[in-house]
Amino acid sequence: MIVGGCDLGSTTGKAAIMIDDKIYCGDIIPATTKPALTATMAMDSALKKAGLKSIDEIEYIIGTGYGRQKVPFASEDISEISCHGKGAYWALQSVRTIIDIGGQDCKAIAISDKGVVTQFEMNERCAAGTGRFFQVMAKVLTCGLEGIGSVSNISDNPVSISNQCSVFAESEVITLINDEKSIPDIITGINQSVAKRVVSLVRRVGIHDDVTLTGGCSKNLGLKKALENLLGTTIKPLPVDPQSIGAIGAAVFAKEKLLAKRAKELEVSSKE
Amino acid sequence: MESIKSSDVFKKFSGIATSLKNSEIENWKKQGGKVIGYFCPVIPEEVFIAGGILPFRMRGTGSTTTDSADVYLKPVNCGFPRHTFNQALIGEYDFLDGLVVNTCCDTIMRLAVDWEHAGIKTPFIYSLDNAHAGGEAMVGHFRNQLQKMKDAVEKYFNVEITEQKLQDAIKLCNETKLLQQKLYELRKLPNPPITGSETVAVMVAGSSMPKEQYNKDLKTLLDELGNVNTDKKYSARLMIIGCGHDDTLLCDIIEELGAVVVTDQTCFGSRVMIKTISEEGDDPLMSIAGYLVLDVPYCPKTIGTHPERKQFTMGLAKDYKVDGAVGQCFISCDPWAAELYLLKSEFQEAGIPFIWFEREYIPDLIGQLKTRVEAFIETINN
Repeated sequence: MIVGGCDLGSTTGKAAIMIDDKIYCGDIIPATTKPALTATMAMDSALKKAGLKSIDEIEYIIGTGYGRQKVPFASEDISEISCHGKGAYWALQSVRTIIDIGGQDCKAIAISDKGVVTQFEMNERCAAGTGRFFQVMAKVLTCGLEGIGSVSNISDNPVSISNQCSVFAESEVITLINDEKSIPDIITGINQSVAKRVVSLVRRVGIHDDVTLTGGCSKNLGLKKALENLLGTTIKPLPVDPQSIGAIGAAVFAKEKLLAKRAKELEVSSKE
Repeated sequence: MESIKSSDVFKKFSGIATSLKNSEIENWKKQGGKVIGYFCPVIPEEVFIAGGILPFRMRGTGSTTTDSADVYLKPVNCGFPRHTFNQALIGEYDFLDGLVVNTCCDTIMRLAVDWEHAGIKTPFIYSLDNAHAGGEAMVGHFRNQLQKMKDAVEKYFNVEITEQKLQDAIKLCNETKLLQQKLYELRKLPNPPITGSETVAVMVAGSSMPKEQYNKDLKTLLDELGNVNTDKKYSARLMIIGCGHDDTLLCDIIEELGAVVVTDQTCFGSRVMIKTISEEGDDPLMSIAGYLVLDVPYCPKTIGTHPERKQFTMGLAKDYKVDGAVGQCFISCDPWAAELYLLKSEFQEAGIPFIWFEREYIPDLIGQLKTRVEAFIETINN
């Protein structure tokens, strides 16, 4: 059985292919101005990784993410909240709380011991607590997103960023730079500021171990550390790329849907 | 009939609900009739009708910006009064001869001042002090406030609002409420012949045109609903709870995802029609005050009334057999934000899935809203 998932996020496109129970994730593709093109590029990459020649070999595909309705080859679409729950549970069955920090939003998702989403919360409107916030900060600090994640662990004296609005926080950071605060102190302060925002969201659904982190911002080790400190628990790493969890969850759903479809077809044919 | 959308009466209601000016008002004005805008269902339209004046429930329909209103109001004021005020500033409410605001919330209360300050030419402006708490003790107080409003309307518009005229207006509005109750009864069916989105249009039209004609049209619509195909299956039965639900955005999102909105606890919906005003007694103003203070669940602005509202809301959820509830409030609407926070845990305790969020009065960030609603429906179906 060959199934697939395609997660069209606000800043990247991801695809995963499941052959029997093995997952093949494609490269993370930066979003283009054409969602269908981003989806195709992501899926082409996954096809290569899976050693498949054509998308026609995939029997069922689920689209997810903000652009889920624009995935041209999807059989149907499912929200990224459900897909992140499904994907994280597939990757690590002890997970009960998922923190998904993507390009333009942040979600806290609670799942049951069966891997079913029971509750979720999402950030309201603004970019605080999302990848966009980090992008704005990385630009001001001219350190790139990688820099935000890597230098934060060496700060002993993090600054306090009080503004949650990315626009005002940018001004705050510029003031700190002019005050000659060290870059590691500022970056640690930024990570702590985002972590505080995210943790308040997680508290609404409840913090239940194991907790894991998905989405593009899961690669920011400074943020992960700040979250662990505030949550008072360890964030469990996943055995697959956490940025591709939405696509993986979509592929798992695709498998379930295909099995259900086949069972229904079998039932109909046996009646005939 | 596949859907009520193809009905001419429904199209008329929908047109009225999605605009401010409509042909019914134009005709009314051509015949020399006066129109009073009012902001909240706690301001009884019966008083205006008894004075021969057409009541029009204020809304910001059609607004795309608050550029003009922002000169007077701040972004901390919620979008409903800001967009509505903006529509007035750009002339969309020129058909009004009067405006009645009330102590519904701080911003709306202040609008009477802003209205005059901005030079909007609405000749009659009145501020009604409504009951700030529930309970028997408030009925007399509110009756006196209604008397003052009635006196002011009589004096300014040079009309006499007799007790008989008030009784007649109560009967007319009760007929509206009873017809709307019949409409809501149909939504209790396993496959309702009318969607939530369609119901919003019917309800909003009810406060935007003369009642006699509305009642006649609604009777026709109810007859037509008997011919609507009810085979359509829905993935979930939901209810909407929250402030000023005068657009179809949220219902449209829910219903495009395969679920159906079967009831609501909103002030353009169930809260205006769930009960009728007593036609007994010799003091119609007291009957109206009693209805508004004791019978209708007050909005969350009213002190100490959450338990009654909770009971009312839970009762709706049970009667309409909802699978989940969706709460919405406009950004900066503190009373509703607090109310929905309380209701969330109460619904969860009752085993009914509940989601709530803040949104702008004029729809924005539709993608995020769709994701939340879709995930919520998926959670219910899981």
